[in-house]
Amino acid sequence: MNLKKYTSLLRAGIMESLNYRLSALVLFFGNLVYIAIIYYLWRAIYASSPTDVVGGMTFTDTLIYVVLASSLFSFMEMYFVWDIGRSVQSGKIALDLIKPMAYRDYVFWSCAGTLFTNFFSVFLPTFIVIEIVTKGAIDFGMNLVWFIPSVIMGVVINYNIDFFVGSICLYTESIWGINMMKQVIVLLFSGATIPLAFFPDKLQSIAYHLPFQSIYNTPLSILLMHSPSVSQVLPMILLQLFWCVALTLFTSLFWFISIRQVTVNGG
Amino acid sequence: MEEAVIQIKNITKEFKVLNHREGVKGGLMDLFSRDYRIVRAVDDISMNVEQGEIVGYLGPNGAGKSTTIKMMAGVLEPTSGEILVNGVIPYKNRAGNSQHIGVVFGQRSQLWWALPLIESFKLLRDIYQIPKAEYEEMLSFYASIADMENLLHKPVRQMSLGQRTLSDILAAFLHNPKIVFLDEPTIGLDVSMKAKIRELILSLNEKKHTTVILTTHDMGDVDALCRRIVIIDHGKMLYDNDMDHLKGFFGSYRTLKIRVSGDVNGHLAEIQRQFPDMRTETEEGWITILVDEEKTGVMKVLNTIQESVKVRDVQIEEISTEDVIRKIYEGDMG
Repeated sequence: MNLKKYTSLLRAGIMESLNYRLSALVLFFGNLVYIAIIYYLWRAIYASSPTDVVGGMTFTDTLIYVVLASSLFSFMEMYFVWDIGRSVQSGKIALDLIKPMAYRDYVFWSCAGTLFTNFFSVFLPTFIVIEIVTKGAIDFGMNLVWFIPSVIMGVVINYNIDFFVGSICLYTESIWGINMMKQVIVLLFSGATIPLAFFPDKLQSIAYHLPFQSIYNTPLSILLMHSPSVSQVLPMILLQLFWCVALTLFTSLFWFISIRQVTVNGG
Repeated sequence: MEEAVIQIKNITKEFKVLNHREGVKGGLMDLFSRDYRIVRAVDDISMNVEQGEIVGYLGPNGAGKSTTIKMMAGVLEPTSGEILVNGVIPYKNRAGNSQHIGVVFGQRSQLWWALPLIESFKLLRDIYQIPKAEYEEMLSFYASIADMENLLHKPVRQMSLGQRTLSDILAAFLHNPKIVFLDEPTIGLDVSMKAKIRELILSLNEKKHTTVILTTHDMGDVDALCRRIVIIDHGKMLYDNDMDHLKGFFGSYRTLKIRVSGDVNGHLAEIQRQFPDMRTETEEGWITILVDEEKTGVMKVLNTIQESVKVRDVQIEEISTEDVIRKIYEGDMG
């Protein structure tokens, strides 16, 4: 297998996203503003609660979780569904389809550059700030080691869900409504906005049976563990692996069926 | 004889289209409508194209040109019929086919918007796995036919439309494909850029022996590039033959234009009386007469007219490709 084509796409993506310096800056500050909002929101929630511990989490636990979740979201969200929608509508997709590589790989590696730069411009700074502010609430141990494969699988699962939504666009030729719906579902059930621990039992068990929580909740939970044992982490990682494989198979099949009925707009 | 690089046998492509209703209410009803109609965009087309040919693929807007090209590129699957491109079925082997074809869809760019052109080229080099030596050779060849220094280091978004089209064409040829599809490459360009792009296509075709399938509405492109033209309309093939052959049909026709002073319409009536068989038009003091030289010589017509009308200026023109194509579109070929 020749990896050069993938690294080359990655490289171009990094260069392109660096080109929009202002956008990276806005993303960075936008994230700070968001963090400020959730800080006050959760402080108010805890202030109105009779106990210091809600859903098994203290205020500091929740804040760390939510802040990291939001920065993880900014880092992992690729927004390429909009691109697929646009290229289906404009007919540009024809040009991407005739590249000598699978479309899903082409799109993924084209977007991977943005992931890369977002990791350094959003996630890492937030992580460091959290670590300083909380005076080392996050361990530097096995949790970090497990976090890496877990976050990579999170990216893959997230990509598959997005790619599935993008494929639906081949039928609908419109992406807005369906993508908004996806975003709401993912934000809710992945733990990106509210820690899953706060959910009522029933909803929690639904959330744990869906693939979304493997995107943000699993890597975050692993990151926040204190010297986790293998038996603690392994089930979570294996579940992620299961979703990776299952979704990759499913979305590949769905794409394969859908592309046969593509109509490609434009004269 | 070598196998033709493109072999198309009786292909047809049908689309299912929803019958849209008017207005907001109609739009709401459309949401639940199952009222489809079948549109046949390409209807039983067959042709073979040899390596190294430049074929002008012409037809009015909506004739089915782009649909045919998308089928040849492997983006669309034909409803029926057979296509072989380089010996493979394009839609079944999209990735394999793409290694040997290049495509420019006018006004849609495959280049990376924010990056200098050279970065898109490097990316294509890696994606198509172009050997280093070939890549270098292609770049130096490009430098010999276009002002590459100016292009290579300019971000694509800062380019003029002409420069971007030029770049897109160069990008399509970069991996030295056997076939390049150019879908309206000169649309919206100024005269000198058009000339430049035609020159470029010709020299690439000559040097690399690349087959070029070109759709265009610009007869200048056809005159400059194509030795063979295929014309389709409403998805059906109307014509497939050499340019020379086509012109031969109309070769005996000349256009005689005379400028007269005084009452143009009066003179026109007089000419029409003398030559009732010939097509005539007037425009800003000029009278245009389409003369079939097999019947009457142009000079004889001119002499006859001169006896009764004072002629101030004369032009004699060969019939243009545009006239020929228009005649075919309008069904004058019979």
